[in-house]
Amino acid sequence: MDSQTTIPATSGAFAEGMHLPKTVQVANVNHYFGEGELRKQALFSNNLDVRRGEIVIMTGPSGSGKTTLLTLIGTLRTVQEGSLKVLGNELQGADRDLIVRLRRELGFIFQAHNLFESLTAYQNVNMAAELVGLDPQIAEGRIKSLLTRLGLGDRVHYKPKSLSGGQKQRVAIARGLVHKPKLILADEPTAALDEKSGREVVTLFQELARDEGCTIIMVTHDNRILDVADRIVNMVDGNIKSDVAVQETSVICEFLKGFPLFADLTPNTLSEVADKMMVHEADAGDVVIRQGDPGELFYLIRGGSVDVLIDDGTEEKTVAQLNQGQYFGETALITDEPRNATIVAREKSIFYALGKADFRVVLETSATFEEELRQALFGRQ
Amino acid sequence: MTRKRRTPLAWKNLTHDWRRLAIALVGIAFAVLLMFSQVGFQNALFDSQVKMIDDLKGDIFIVSPAKFTLAAEKRFALARIHQARSCPGVQAAYPIYCELTTSVLRKMTDGKGNRGYPIRSIGIPLEAKVFSSKEIQGQTNLLRMPNSALIDRKSKRRKFAFPLDDDAALAAESVELAGMKLMLAGTFDLGTDFAHDGNLVMSDENFAKYYPHRKRFGDPLSIVDIGVVQLQTGYSTEDVLKVLEKTLSKDVLVLTREEYREKEIHFWDKSTPIGTIFLAGKIIGFVVGMVICYQVIYSDIADHLPEFATLKAMGYSTRYFVGLIVVEALLLALIGFLPGSIASYGLYTWLAERTGLLMQMSVPSVSFVLAATMLMCIGSGMLAVRKLVAADPASLF
Repeated sequence: MDSQTTIPATSGAFAEGMHLPKTVQVANVNHYFGEGELRKQALFSNNLDVRRGEIVIMTGPSGSGKTTLLTLIGTLRTVQEGSLKVLGNELQGADRDLIVRLRRELGFIFQAHNLFESLTAYQNVNMAAELVGLDPQIAEGRIKSLLTRLGLGDRVHYKPKSLSGGQKQRVAIARGLVHKPKLILADEPTAALDEKSGREVVTLFQELARDEGCTIIMVTHDNRILDVADRIVNMVDGNIKSDVAVQETSVICEFLKGFPLFADLTPNTLSEVADKMMVHEADAGDVVIRQGDPGELFYLIRGGSVDVLIDDGTEEKTVAQLNQGQYFGETALITDEPRNATIVAREKSIFYALGKADFRVVLETSATFEEELRQALFGRQ
Repeated sequence: MTRKRRTPLAWKNLTHDWRRLAIALVGIAFAVLLMFSQVGFQNALFDSQVKMIDDLKGDIFIVSPAKFTLAAEKRFALARIHQARSCPGVQAAYPIYCELTTSVLRKMTDGKGNRGYPIRSIGIPLEAKVFSSKEIQGQTNLLRMPNSALIDRKSKRRKFAFPLDDDAALAAESVELAGMKLMLAGTFDLGTDFAHDGNLVMSDENFAKYYPHRKRFGDPLSIVDIGVVQLQTGYSTEDVLKVLEKTLSKDVLVLTREEYREKEIHFWDKSTPIGTIFLAGKIIGFVVGMVICYQVIYSDIADHLPEFATLKAMGYSTRYFVGLIVVEALLLALIGFLPGSIASYGLYTWLAERTGLLMQMSVPSVSFVLAATMLMCIGSGMLAVRKLVAADPASLF
């Protein structure tokens, strides 16, 4: 028996890095604003897992709850319903001390720079370094190199009044990064920046993610920086509508393209198909498909391998072995006939499966569907 | 370890905007002035209640236990003064005689008098220097004349309208005291208080003539209002006080200068509405000051709320913010106290010149106002910081 899960294939749950600890675990989180009659739900049972070193970009129309979710993760709001774990600590019902301790491991970059007008750029950044008890000499070196890296080397001792909006924002970014946080939460960090310094900031983020294992969650509308994302989370009306691992989706699309029926689909359609696939797991010896059963799913092998067995009435013979990137189960869906072979997992394997209805919808959207179908079937026999 | 290089955020925020700081300081200075004026008036009025004790030249005072205030006409036997004189360590002991209710002074014009007003008559033995005032000592010869007395220059003008600046004209005034003719031979300086609108000083001999019936039977000078004891050099007040308490019978109270002063002030403070009125004044000053400080500190926090919220989001603890505001409040209190006390000093000087009240910036009153200022700044700081401490950072941006 194969075990069906509710995990979407594109979540990347079974991709590389799945062994890394989860920095953020959001489970069934609801959030409300206002009291009594005016109480309005802003978040509706959201789920999100972010692993160490991932860069997650959250998008969605304004008012969709991105910032609310971000501030909940950042301990800046009290968790009302559901479970939210950050760096292994449950935030629901957490005491003040834990929250204060946790905050020191996070780095915040807000939409507004919120710098103290009375302090210089250096002193503003130093407020974060002092807090974690950084050695003053190390702090000095780090603050200066960060500010220089962000193009403010000659303005280290300027007060915010004599800095431009973009420069102030960069000081705020340096303040969010100086203490080497384990998790960076950024709300539109590049909104006030020009292309060049925006790029510099996200490059810095990538370095931190790669070298320090820093996890980054960023709310942004800036499509110039979408390329740095490991995952893109889309929120609509207080709900995570899609949560897509960019790398994994492209792997699935490559695999799908290998299937002649899907070869002519556009990347857009392919990624929609990938979105609809669910993860299935099987242990060695598990029967994934049994000959004679009605066909319900189309399978893509993400990992592992399977044997194809055909029972010709007298005996069951292994006719083929399928490996990662190959697929099976399509014939029964196309012809509406029972399964014509039995598939048994040779080892612990992972499949991405597409339901019959979705499979057909995809085929019907393709203008060349009938043609392709016939040719495919013809080619097989 | 990391403490030494902390960014002095409280100081930086305070001094960043000079205009705002100036306004804040004016506000706090005003609150300081308000409290100083209340404390000053209270002290001035209490001090004037005990001015006579302050002016008497003595180390220990003997009074009747029933004499709850200077104006109460409760006396003790002259024999106690004699007893006191015999005690070791006592240089001298003198009786002071006072009359108030029967001591009515009338100004006579053309043989008719006004209705007259009570004035305090003080009878003193001329052979002794019972008042420290050189002025009285210098006019002893005038007091030797029959029916003569010195009048207090600070006596209420409205009631005792005499030409006090001109000794000759004063002596020519036709005056009656307790129904008998009196010559105002000169003037001296003591001051009025709640109970007394004016003062006369005369010899005990004259005093006995004006008030022969103050004792129903016998010598009017055999009952004494206040006994003044002067110590021999080398004797401590405490030791002599103990001896006197042992020697004199329990129908008198033996008090040091300080004790007597306190007893008198205590009466006015606690047993009359005066203390309460000034307490209310001080509380109002404090509350007004608190409102001003609250406004100053609250607007400072409110204007920097997003920045503070960012610090909170970074992991700065409640203790940090409370510490920050306490430091800011204390700095404000100290910096605001300076101009406030300078202004108060000016006010005191001006009032002292105008009213004759004893307006003094004593150490206790300065420390009281300073403590109250700090308390009110810290208190309002704590009130103002509540929101920052209680709220989720996200709701503060």
